[in-house]
Amino acid sequence: MLVANPGSRPLAGGQSLLNVLKHRAAEVEAVIDISRLEELRGIDAEGGRLEIGAACSYDRIGASDAVAAAHPKIAAVADGLVDQQVRCRGTIGGNACFNDPGSNYPPLLVALEATMRVVGPGGDREVAADQFFQDTYRVDLGPGELLRSIVIPAADGTAVGYSSLQAEDSWALARAVARVRCNGTIAEPRIVVGCVSGAQPRATAVEQALDGAEPSAEAIAAAAEQADEGLETASDAHASAGYRRKMARVMVARAVTEATERARRGDG
Amino acid sequence: MAEVEETHSIEFELNGERRATVVPGRELLVHFIRDDLGLKGTHIGCDTGNCGACTVRVDGQLVKSCMMLAAQLDGCAVETIEAGPAEELREAFNAEHAVQCGYCTPGMLASAAFLLERNPNPSSDEIRRALKGNICRCTGYENIVRAIERVANGKATAGGAL
Repeated sequence: MLVANPGSRPLAGGQSLLNVLKHRAAEVEAVIDISRLEELRGIDAEGGRLEIGAACSYDRIGASDAVAAAHPKIAAVADGLVDQQVRCRGTIGGNACFNDPGSNYPPLLVALEATMRVVGPGGDREVAADQFFQDTYRVDLGPGELLRSIVIPAADGTAVGYSSLQAEDSWALARAVARVRCNGTIAEPRIVVGCVSGAQPRATAVEQALDGAEPSAEAIAAAAEQADEGLETASDAHASAGYRRKMARVMVARAVTEATERARRGDG
Repeated sequence: MAEVEETHSIEFELNGERRATVVPGRELLVHFIRDDLGLKGTHIGCDTGNCGACTVRVDGQLVKSCMMLAAQLDGCAVETIEAGPAEELREAFNAEHAVQCGYCTPGMLASAAFLLERNPNPSSDEIRRALKGNICRCTGYENIVRAIERVANGKATAGGAL
């Protein structure tokens, strides 16, 4: 149907798309309801690896013991999203494909090295999360293509920190997600700065500085000073560009600290 | 391209009763419930998914009916405040003066009933968390939380059908 109706968009939970349509912020010829396709709603867990259907609701993800065991942060983010009504309707695939800079899942999926499984007229294909999230409101989906599921490899001893600057009901102003391995020293850090751009940029300078470093408060703070290197932040009614850069550094320090502590405790 | 008003045939269950009708593709569930079904207990506060006054149950899930299309109701069961009784919750809302203007009340009752079904003995924090999607501009929430606590403490099972 997506192929046969150019200009159509898939409608999953509708918690973003319906407001976009009400505001006439996008021109859509037709919406195609995918929210009840069972094959898009499953959660498969095997040996710590997760495959979550694109139309799986936050409520289902947050309640899943399999998700909590394999990737507790994936479950915790779902469980904390907005409110119960949104959690009942909203979907992880919708969150990913909308790709607002403030969307909760994209930076986490990049940090966890997720793979996006796409179906479309040209056949099935897989895209790494860091390639999938191209820019604000833009993802690597061509005409007629649909995100089928998201595959998250086993944590395998790594742990995740997730830090947002957010008043209760507002969109976050700054966010960072860090995934590290930490056996005495930090290894394989993957750090993503959220709330800046839909490209979901990595803090590569911080990653390099922390690879092999002691997980001390001093080392983390020093490395996090480079978190905004190469970042282009914008000023708006909520915060200045400079404040956003500063908060990106703070969020990175907090996320890395949380990740190293979780790694030490074996919390994942 | 000129706008074509597409319509869709839907079959659904309304408060336990089978129904079938035709709805415009762009109609929101909340407008369908109020204007087509004539059930005015579901309120419209914001129309943008923020206030929760239009909260209903669809296949048991808690849904802001301004954030779902009427056409998506096909094959589903919707429960509105008119399904009543949620009697214990209503009595508790009365007893605790949890209603002032009453605009948010149907949505509050829906969210409260949903919470108590899942968690018959919620803490005060859990109640507040469960009401996050429902805005009240009169009571300051204290009495609403107290009303739900009254039901939770008074019995072991949930608040019954909405």
